[in-house]
Amino acid sequence: MLESFVSGRAPVLIEFQSVSKQFGQNLVLRSVDFQLRAGEVHALVGENGAGKSTCLGMMYGLLQPDKGQVTISGNRVKIENPAHAQSLGVSCVFQELSLAGAMSVAENIFAGRMPSHFGIVDYPKLYQQAEALLEEFGLHIDVTMPVDRLPVSLRQIVEIVKAMSLDVKILLLDEPTSALTPDEVQMLFKILRKLTARGIGIIYVCHHISEIFAIADRITVLRDGQQISTSNIAETSSKHVVSQMVGGNIPQLTDRTNNTIGPVVLQAKGMTAKGVFEGINLELHKGEIVGLAGLLGSGRSQIAQALCGLEKSWTGELRVDGKSVKYKSLLQAIDDGFGYVPEERKTEGLFLDFSIRDNVVAANLCQYSQLGFLKRHLMASSAAKAINDFDVKTASQEIPIRALSGGNQQKVMLAKWLQKSPKILIIEEPTKGVDVGAKFQIHAELRKQATKGMTILVVSSDFAELATLSDRILVVREGQIAGEIGASDATEDSILNLASVAVPHAVNAI
Amino acid sequence: MSTTVSNPKTNAKFNQLGSMAKGNFIQRIVRTREITLLCVIIAIIVVMSFASPYFLSLNNFRAIAIGMAPTAIIVIGMAILLASGGFDLSVGSVMALSSTLVALLLIAGVSIPIAVFAGILLGGVTGLINGVLITSVGINPLVATLGTMSIARGIALILTEGFSISNLPKAFGYVGRADILGIPLLVIIALGLVLVFDLLVRHGRFFRQIYFIGANEKAAMLSGIAVNRVRIVAYVLTGMLAALAGVLLASRLMSGTPTAGNALELQVLAAAVIGGASLRGGEGTILGAFLGVVFVALINNSMTMLAISIYWQVVVTGAVLIAAVTLDMLVLSRTNKTNF
Repeated sequence: MLESFVSGRAPVLIEFQSVSKQFGQNLVLRSVDFQLRAGEVHALVGENGAGKSTCLGMMYGLLQPDKGQVTISGNRVKIENPAHAQSLGVSCVFQELSLAGAMSVAENIFAGRMPSHFGIVDYPKLYQQAEALLEEFGLHIDVTMPVDRLPVSLRQIVEIVKAMSLDVKILLLDEPTSALTPDEVQMLFKILRKLTARGIGIIYVCHHISEIFAIADRITVLRDGQQISTSNIAETSSKHVVSQMVGGNIPQLTDRTNNTIGPVVLQAKGMTAKGVFEGINLELHKGEIVGLAGLLGSGRSQIAQALCGLEKSWTGELRVDGKSVKYKSLLQAIDDGFGYVPEERKTEGLFLDFSIRDNVVAANLCQYSQLGFLKRHLMASSAAKAINDFDVKTASQEIPIRALSGGNQQKVMLAKWLQKSPKILIIEEPTKGVDVGAKFQIHAELRKQATKGMTILVVSSDFAELATLSDRILVVREGQIAGEIGASDATEDSILNLASVAVPHAVNAI
Repeated sequence: MSTTVSNPKTNAKFNQLGSMAKGNFIQRIVRTREITLLCVIIAIIVVMSFASPYFLSLNNFRAIAIGMAPTAIIVIGMAILLASGGFDLSVGSVMALSSTLVALLLIAGVSIPIAVFAGILLGGVTGLINGVLITSVGINPLVATLGTMSIARGIALILTEGFSISNLPKAFGYVGRADILGIPLLVIIALGLVLVFDLLVRHGRFFRQIYFIGANEKAAMLSGIAVNRVRIVAYVLTGMLAALAGVLLASRLMSGTPTAGNALELQVLAAAVIGGASLRGGEGTILGAFLGVVFVALINNSMTMLAISIYWQVVVTGAVLIAAVTLDMLVLSRTNKTNF
């Protein structure tokens, strides 16, 4: 490990000394040495299955190391469970939000620790405390509001504030920006900087390399459970980090050169849903990938959902293959050749306790049945094909999909629809919370399908992704299409400029 | 494309999970509820054979089989509903209402096939009402079926003024009382339905959709499964099975009984859950639910044989239900430990 740390004189908060972890006979973490110092943001990066989650799990008491030592502030500890971790000053914000939607912001922040007298909650005091805490971060949110009325980005912030309401010295963040737009990411970074200024150490797990270079002080790369490097962020480069993550060879970007655009398959004229989007005109051609960019709340998702019958209350005209249509449900659109891959794979896309095979066949049971009976061998071969095509890392198709990493889950969810070869595929946030390798594979597969003639509409808030993936990008701003950017002009910045002339609501909070 | 970033070493963790999913032989057996239940059932039979001289007799087994036939038919529907994430409390009342309706129609001179058809149709209509209330109107299944449970029971009592309707035509009693090769026809019908539906639910395209709905309704909808249609069909089917049980019961008893099947819905729910179904939805089989019914029937019979008070039987059923679910939770928490 490097000797000259930027924060070299700051005290060590948590330390791993040759920590190993084994599941069965397999080493998932091999002798990792790791230090988090006070006041630093320490990024932990690696492919799916590299051991990041295992590291976080051990710091938060979800897993115990088999070998090696964990020390917190110099004292050797055995972290029994999350409650114990919290009492040691470790707090964790997971990728999946753990807030109770119907409860107020204040109640969520102080869940389980609400001020009370003889068992009666002292609401005025609770609200006051919550407001004071949010104030510290420069946030002005109505603390009596139910959490599910907040935009996702603010929920993420509330989650972090909730973690900070404990006496925290070490904050673990697992993919904190996966639901955030670029502006919101900046807001989060400001908050993180306020925390590090107080001497709090932050472990930052993230797939967005550019983000890591914007916020982290040090970076540790893991691969296959091994620690590849720990370096000061100033002394490394994103290219170097990516090559360390994937083990040398960086995958090629998707090639857009040899695609041919066919006739118009979908045409929208003046589609309007009051208060959501207005006067939407767009055309999708056979064999092209069109990006639909926009900030959270811009109406980008609703427009895409209106095309495939999920959003029903709109006026205007929609033509598919020249035929005027108005779908009453997603089912009708699917019958007409649509496919729809939702944004939230865990709550909307997958059957978590079901096997990979069952998840692959879910959208298309007809294809696997004869005389109304499902044929196991048809389902099995289809699942095998999906696993092979997408290089899903799994030992068997019988494994419940819950056990797979996010990237592999995402691949299965996409495979489910590609098996059906829809004419028009609408896909939301195709690589949300997915690592670099899986992202390249998903992009390549989408490009392959487009070359074969599929029309693909990609809705994403990851503008860098849209810039590399799409043939052209439609930018939505406040419910209207603000403009179109061709592949050659598309960059993260050019899209962002078009998307964010007006200040989005979420940013008002800061 | 697939070779660029693949690395065999990263598969290590998943290989391990793969072997977990398969498990060793013992684990696999313990996780298959049908096999555990079957072992327990055999154990009860063996123990009881020694404990009571009257237990191991053809007559006793006939009595058990006939007694549980209506429940076995109803549990099919309940297991399907549980797998889809719903349930139906009105089954006992629908059984009573269909038995009284058939009896009243027969007394009024309606022919047997038409009366039977009307009885089963009534069950279908009740199921349709339940299904529409739950899916299209969006009422919680507990509330909706609690309502129809009360209404169906009330109508049965109003129609009959609370009395049983007897003096039914002799021919109507054939199905309920006939034996084929020494086995009661009633039992053959129940077993046949259990087997057919077990097969359908395991391999049938339509019924397979129920598990997807139960596991994640939103994902099922977004996968293009006609969620509401499937759920309504499941309620209609459950109503029809309950009504069929009522018709068969009337045939067996040669009377329509408005008070039949009181609290049956809870027994059926308990049996299905003991058999591996869950109120969370997405799991359970018909065979498992059926074995749950057999298990509960055997326990009750055993206690009768051992001259234990009928009131204790109710206590034991409750205790067994809680024990089964607790066991489930323990197995669940053990298998989920590696993935948080």
